Amino acid sequence: MNRPFVPWLLLALALALAAIYLFPLYWMYVTSLKTGSEIFANPPSFWPAAPDPSIYPNTWVRRTMGTFLWNSVVIASGVTAITVILGTGCAYVLARYRSAWIDIGLFAILMLQVLPASVMITPLFVGFNQIGLLNWPRTAVVLAAAAKSMPFFVVLVRATFMSVPRELEEAALVDGNSRVGAFFSIVLPLARNGILVCAILTFMSSFGEYIYSKSIIQDTALQPASVGLSGFLGPNSTDWNSIMAYSAIYVTPILAVFVLLQRRIVSGLTSGALK
Amino acid sequence: MSRILNSMRDGVGFDLILVGAAMVFLVALAGLPLVYNVVMSFQQVDMFTLGSLVRPFAGFTNYVAVVQQPEFWLVTKNTLIFVFASMAGQFIIGFALALFFAQNFPGAATIRGLFLVSWVMPGLVVGGIWSFILAGDYGVLNAILKGLGLTQATIFWKSDPNFSLWSVVIANIWLGLAFNMLLLSVGLAAIPRDLYEAAELDGANAFQRFWTITLPMMRPTIGAVLSLGLIGTLQQFDLFPALTEGGPANTSNVAGYWAWQMSFQLYDFAKGATISVMMFVLVLFASVVYVRSTRHEVRG
Repeated sequence: MNRPFVPWLLLALALALAAIYLFPLYWMYVTSLKTGSEIFANPPSFWPAAPDPSIYPNTWVRRTMGTFLWNSVVIASGVTAITVILGTGCAYVLARYRSAWIDIGLFAILMLQVLPASVMITPLFVGFNQIGLLNWPRTAVVLAAAAKSMPFFVVLVRATFMSVPRELEEAALVDGNSRVGAFFSIVLPLARNGILVCAILTFMSSFGEYIYSKSIIQDTALQPASVGLSGFLGPNSTDWNSIMAYSAIYVTPILAVFVLLQRRIVSGLTSGALK
Repeated sequence: MSRILNSMRDGVGFDLILVGAAMVFLVALAGLPLVYNVVMSFQQVDMFTLGSLVRPFAGFTNYVAVVQQPEFWLVTKNTLIFVFASMAGQFIIGFALALFFAQNFPGAATIRGLFLVSWVMPGLVVGGIWSFILAGDYGVLNAILKGLGLTQATIFWKSDPNFSLWSVVIANIWLGLAFNMLLLSVGLAAIPRDLYEAAELDGANAFQRFWTITLPMMRPTIGAVLSLGLIGTLQQFDLFPALTEGGPANTSNVAGYWAWQMSFQLYDFAKGATISVMMFVLVLFASVVYVRSTRHEVRG
């Protein structure tokens, strides 16, 4: 109070910390605009001497990014659809009752959340191979990735349903609604925002899905953008400006959506993840 | 018949359908594969038997073979180092940032929210960016370290066996830091202000306030954050193919990536399944320890 400059000092420090933390993102954009020789300069320059945006259309065409990104969208949409349709109902029931069975169900879902994808991929691949699902590789990836993302979705959306007052649903039932009617006309609309945020998070994370797609999809025309990036990324890569241009095209839509919805995403996460 | 239909529309049947559909899906695509994984680890799996369900029983030969691999103990050690170093880094830096952003200044919540972009980015892209930052000759991290006078020599982060694992750890800390910070911030915000005011009146300094109020009040949050950090770190996969591919000579390989290499690069699915089972036992052990410790806490 008697030191009015302190908040502004803290703000300056916060901005400096954010700048340090977000430096890798800045570096991605700057590197993509550098020319070949400038990339390997030592010490590196922090601003491109001659920015060259033509790398973006070049990379887009040369790496057939249109196909890759389209496949990513298809896979992420499929995963999100399955997760939302099956996960929302499950979360609703888990939020509505309190009993030993519900606790067991919740515990099972939390345990599924713990399973690493690298543990699941071997049996999934061999199993899919046996039932012939590998002939539809994108479907196989969608099914596997939906099972992976559903537990987290259920945990978050359950917290949203917990915050919907029980009395509203009971009033609708007293007024003659059936359970189905009350669910669709009262409970779902009230929880809409929370479900939407979680659906967007699911979409974002499956948009970057890598391990299942890499292992299951062999046909280049069906692979998502993450596998396309891995095609020229590794310990010995040198083609840095096109790698960075590719990455920039890939993540800029995600970053834009995130910055626009930041407040809602953060509040959706914080209400659910800790309960 | 009509009673069942009625119950589906307006009774317990409705709940059972909703929860049942999700459970059937999860059992089919997560529960069954898990069981199948254990079965495969006791079978002899090769290209000829890959398509059939009944394979020659192998007993514990797969387990013996995995343990006898020359890289087994190296990978085990790397996995433990990777998990503990990543968790420690994410938690300590995340806690420090959460404490900082709990101060009262304009824009604190918005700037804190921006940190979370690392969490929504695809892991492979994060790995790619860090791969360039950590490059030996032209990497920007080496340039900064030299500029600050912290090191004279050029560190080959990705190809030096002493540093390769740490290059993945650094990228993983960056990736998970923001999520840790966010959850810890929620915990901090839930501590009543007047506790601090009372302690200040009693003459407690900042360190004493942290030690006697913040830490004890944060205990449940810290437990949850650490367990989520453990889960996230054990699941980390994308950074390895992007940064080091487990090399050089497996010095940066961990169990998850090793299992994938066995199955999908060497096509030895039995060994891949066996390593997966071992890793699953580790995950299970960790979560049981976590559940027990939190339960103990609640009982007091």
